[in-house]
Amino acid sequence: MVESCISNKIYSYKHECKWPNSEAADVHSIIVRKSRSKGFLVFFSALLILANAILLFLIKDKSIAVVFWSFIWDVLIVKLLLQKPVEKESVVIMPALGVQLETHYVSGNIIRRFVPIDKILKPVLLECVTPVTCYWSLSLIVQEEAELMLVFKELHPPVKMLVPIWKALCAATGSEGSLNTFTEDGPCC
Amino acid sequence: MGDSKRHRILMVSDFFYPNFGGVENHIYLLSQCLLKLGHKVVVMTHAYGNRSGVRYMTGGLKVYYVPWKPFLLQNTLPTFYGTLPIIRTILIREQISLVHGHQAFSTLCHEALMHARTMGYKVVFTDHSLYGFADVGSIHMNKVLQFTLADVSQAICVSHTSKENTVLRSGLPPEKVYVIPNAVDTAMFKPAAERPSGNEITIVVISRLVYRKGADLLVEVIPEVCRMYPNVRFIVGGDGPKRVRLEEMREKHSLQDRVEMLGAVPHAQVRSVLISGHIFLNSSLTEAFCIAILEAASCGLLTVSTRVGGVPEVLPDDMIVLAEPDPTDMVQAIKKAISILPMIDPQDMHNRMKKLYDWHDVAKRTEIVYDRALKCSNQSLLERLSRYLACGAWAGKLFCLVMIIDFLLWRLLQLWKPAEDIEVVPDIVLSLDEDRGMSQDFQAFNEDHSLR
Repeated sequence: MVESCISNKIYSYKHECKWPNSEAADVHSIIVRKSRSKGFLVFFSALLILANAILLFLIKDKSIAVVFWSFIWDVLIVKLLLQKPVEKESVVIMPALGVQLETHYVSGNIIRRFVPIDKILKPVLLECVTPVTCYWSLSLIVQEEAELMLVFKELHPPVKMLVPIWKALCAATGSEGSLNTFTEDGPCC
Repeated sequence: MGDSKRHRILMVSDFFYPNFGGVENHIYLLSQCLLKLGHKVVVMTHAYGNRSGVRYMTGGLKVYYVPWKPFLLQNTLPTFYGTLPIIRTILIREQISLVHGHQAFSTLCHEALMHARTMGYKVVFTDHSLYGFADVGSIHMNKVLQFTLADVSQAICVSHTSKENTVLRSGLPPEKVYVIPNAVDTAMFKPAAERPSGNEITIVVISRLVYRKGADLLVEVIPEVCRMYPNVRFIVGGDGPKRVRLEEMREKHSLQDRVEMLGAVPHAQVRSVLISGHIFLNSSLTEAFCIAILEAASCGLLTVSTRVGGVPEVLPDDMIVLAEPDPTDMVQAIKKAISILPMIDPQDMHNRMKKLYDWHDVAKRTEIVYDRALKCSNQSLLERLSRYLACGAWAGKLFCLVMIIDFLLWRLLQLWKPAEDIEVVPDIVLSLDEDRGMSQDFQAFNEDHSLR
């Protein structure tokens, strides 16, 4: 049963409640949306480079190495820009048991990490600053671990999708989050 | 009165906590007072070692420690356009209305002001130091300053001497420059309950022991004063390259029992060192404004200082004895100070300082400057470029080119990462509880961020 759904250009958020009649799993997923225009653009520019190289070979009598290198370059661009290894990332909250963090790859590979409920001290929403940007991330403070555990390892969903997941985690772990700050001003829209 | 609207200010400088210094304290205390007046203040600086990311300080002051490595004297590596993405992100997510840069020597400040102007924000610059005109370093620095200040909305200097210096270096019209002196936290710098008694007169020196702060003058002055007055002793706090010379002087004149060297004094302990003395000696060779003598006067010490830069503007004539930066003249000044010492009342001095200098007053005056800055008209790129062309024959054209490239890069960035995609940060709602001091909400926030 799908309870709520928010989406933007890159990601869409889905909240499902499996077996709604019992105290069971709550699944929050962030799904990467396929962008058709980006794929089209990349393939088109790759084709352009290859066509240019072939023209140079045929008309201007450059060596076959030009075609060869431009083909290699095309493969690299396509691989880099169109490589979407992550299909979706989800958080399965099982109250009284723990939280399971899953990463589903396009290739079919699924990586799962389970954290028992009593090991989670607090889920936190933090701002991460890099040399070029600043974004929100959701992490778990885990007992006996020096580092914070990122809930979404590969993806950077917007904060309006992270807030309901954070609230659900707070409710499940029983930790009192600073809910007042967010409910008064509201997350960004 | 208080009908001005709430400003959202971004303070930018390379120099901030955990570094301690004049500029750092100025930014911190000014920000705190502006927060009390109801404005929103965010500080941006570079990362200090492990201290990287977002931190919160007292009163909800948000600090961005951007992970750009410092390369020289705590300055970020100047890449011209490298900081454009992060500055744009911070300006949009915090909904900033005004950018306030500090210190001419800070590369991050210059870059931030340049990008803020390109993006159409109003910009205020505060200059904290005096610079020369003659040597190669100064000439280049002044050119950079001329570039940054060619298009600034308003500028602030900490003394009239500093205003004259800044206007001459940068070619800025004097009407745009405001003089707002620094202040001192008189609540922290209180005189001792009882003055150190006895026949001994203690002269305190607290400064970095470098050439600029006149450490060489001290080497000449101290032995002479010790010879003339057997009941005078010195306490020297601070560290630096010239410390060796002072130690040598101590050895040479056998003054180990009369000159005490404390080494570097942490800022929290400055007051306790000051109240152990009667006279404060400042031997700087250049100073735009001298907060050290304000701190000394607030603690009830009589000051003896060199007559350089903005120092004569700082204290009333009966609280300070001025001398030329020459050993003989300084010894005469110390002689005069010792003679008028019995007439000084530390508590009275402290009370006068409380009325004269106050950070809340500085914040109110700065608020007026912000109001004026925001009233400045918005100018198009072409109008702004004409201001840069006036900077010089070659320099003007170079500056124009730099700004055009910056403008183009900004447009490119707008296409690649549109402003709608950058999420606006909700304001922290600090509900101050009188009993507990800080609300639970804010504490939770604090705990989260202190782990990174």
